[in-house]
Amino acid sequence: MTIAALDLQNVRRTYGRVVAVDNVSLTVAKGEFVTLLGPSGSGKTSTLRLVGGFDQLNGGSIRINGERIDHLPAYQRDTATIFQSGALFPHKTVAENVAFGLRMRKVDASETADRVKQYLGIVRLSGFADRFPAQLSGGQKQRVALARSLAVRPAILLFDEPLSALDLSLRLQLRAEIKNLHDQLQFSAIYVTHDQGEAMAMSSRVAVMRNGAIEQIDTPENIFHQPINEFVYTFIGESCCLAVRLGPQPTDGAGGRIDLSLQGDHAPGDARLYIRPSRLRFGPDAADLPNRLKARVEFVEFLGDMNRYHLRAAGLELFADHAGAAVHRAGDVVDVGWQSQDMRVFR
Amino acid sequence: MSDGSTPLTRRSVEPVVFRVLTLAFTIFIVAYVLIPIVVTLVMSFNEAAQIRFPIKVWSLGWYGDFIASPQWTDALKNSFIIAVGTAVISTTAGILAAWAFERYDFAFKNVLYILIMMPLFMPGVVLGLGVAIAFGGLEIGGVSIYGSRGLVMVAHSLWAMPLVFMLMEATFRTIDNRVVEAANDLGAPPVRTFFEVVIPMVSTGVISSVLFAFVISLNEFVMALFLTDRDTQTLPVLMWLSLRSAGTPRLAVASVILALTVFACLSLIMLWYIRQLRKVSR
Repeated sequence: MTIAALDLQNVRRTYGRVVAVDNVSLTVAKGEFVTLLGPSGSGKTSTLRLVGGFDQLNGGSIRINGERIDHLPAYQRDTATIFQSGALFPHKTVAENVAFGLRMRKVDASETADRVKQYLGIVRLSGFADRFPAQLSGGQKQRVALARSLAVRPAILLFDEPLSALDLSLRLQLRAEIKNLHDQLQFSAIYVTHDQGEAMAMSSRVAVMRNGAIEQIDTPENIFHQPINEFVYTFIGESCCLAVRLGPQPTDGAGGRIDLSLQGDHAPGDARLYIRPSRLRFGPDAADLPNRLKARVEFVEFLGDMNRYHLRAAGLELFADHAGAAVHRAGDVVDVGWQSQDMRVFR
Repeated sequence: MSDGSTPLTRRSVEPVVFRVLTLAFTIFIVAYVLIPIVVTLVMSFNEAAQIRFPIKVWSLGWYGDFIASPQWTDALKNSFIIAVGTAVISTTAGILAAWAFERYDFAFKNVLYILIMMPLFMPGVVLGLGVAIAFGGLEIGGVSIYGSRGLVMVAHSLWAMPLVFMLMEATFRTIDNRVVEAANDLGAPPVRTFFEVVIPMVSTGVISSVLFAFVISLNEFVMALFLTDRDTQTLPVLMWLSLRSAGTPRLAVASVILALTVFACLSLIMLWYIRQLRKVSR
């Protein structure tokens, strides 16, 4: 059995009565890119800070390359963090920033110079060695932070929402760059984010967190297609929720009659039906589909390459995305249909 | 015609009376601050033996007299040595204490905070007398510490250190803690992080602290009066003693030297501040 780059066993952190990290167990294989995904307060950053040594755990163990490190201070751990703000040393040049970790690890001068050059090349900032951080753009700062962390070749890289302070186009660009770098260099990493797009695009595996605990950990595909529970389903991707009461005459839960027909047997009672808005079909397209609902168009949003229809059936609100020209207008009553495999039922 | 189209500037909205009052106040403050200094400066070039107007003959005579007098140059030397010592003691202690208060939790933090700040609000007479009574009788290696420059440095640090502490506490609060964590994360132990990463980030605060402490000590009179003897007396002490015997323009010369030193220190703070601003914004 190969030794994992990082191994967390029942890691726990409490602040008074608040449980920030609740018995988290997680293994990152060498070369694996694992994302901790969750809303704010889900414990993902707390977990990362415990690994980095910026906080002390109350229970459990952390091993890096098989060696227990949870008693060591941050400066003795073989980790390197990329912070949200970049956290560059403002009075040091770009080259000095990248060299800092190497100096602390007593790497000799010629090797240090080589590595600074190498990693500034990798993040495409070769001409910026003598600049100061204040002279760089936000994206460039984050690239320097990346080079500074990569240069020490840590056992595991820790990303603490590194892109969340950047604007959208830059975020997409850097996201692709980090993924490329991972493909090239095969470093092991934990990446903390609340952006599910980032998580899906970059990760070998995604751990969805809530209330300090991991709800599900799996490949992005499996997380998306086989969410283990309602929370994971709703957190990954957009979805419409129909809270209904099933029975001979289905209602919207508050008693309003709805014209809903579902394929297969569904036990009567309250249920929440989830459908991805991109999988909903209308009008003639819906006629042959096994699951159907009659709904009235409330209003239409133009989203560029598609239209988003906001629909209402009694007390139920849903929206559906449709490519092409707007075929329905507000007030139209339409048939909405979907395939059974595109629907998830939670009770 | 531009009826109603004139842009409403702040100036046009402000009542005239505000502007007049502002001007008057500014003139008053400038005059109040500058007149005594200017009069002293002018008087230092008076050749006469008395501080008195009008000045009949202008000369640099009293400056020559000052430099030639061992009593006065010694006092100036004492003032400088004590001010440098105070700057070193209070900057070191103040910065370390501020860092400890900013970064760590420890027992009796609030009590210690009050203890550090209290001397700042104590009259100099009380502190000077207190130090003289409490430590005046002590001997180290058979030499009484009373009258020593070291004792004055420590006494002056009672005032300078809380100021440094306040200044540095505020300064430390402005630094991004993630940068400190990044240094630890990359393998720098706390002490190394402090000197290589934290101190350069607060260099403006450190320079200001050193110069403030220096100026406070240079200006201080009451404690120095209580704690110095003939060999260690500072310039302000000698000036006061000599004013009682003879008010010669030599006093004005001493004032000018003191004032110029203080101005030089303030200018240094300004220059450093501007330099740092340029560095950050370029």
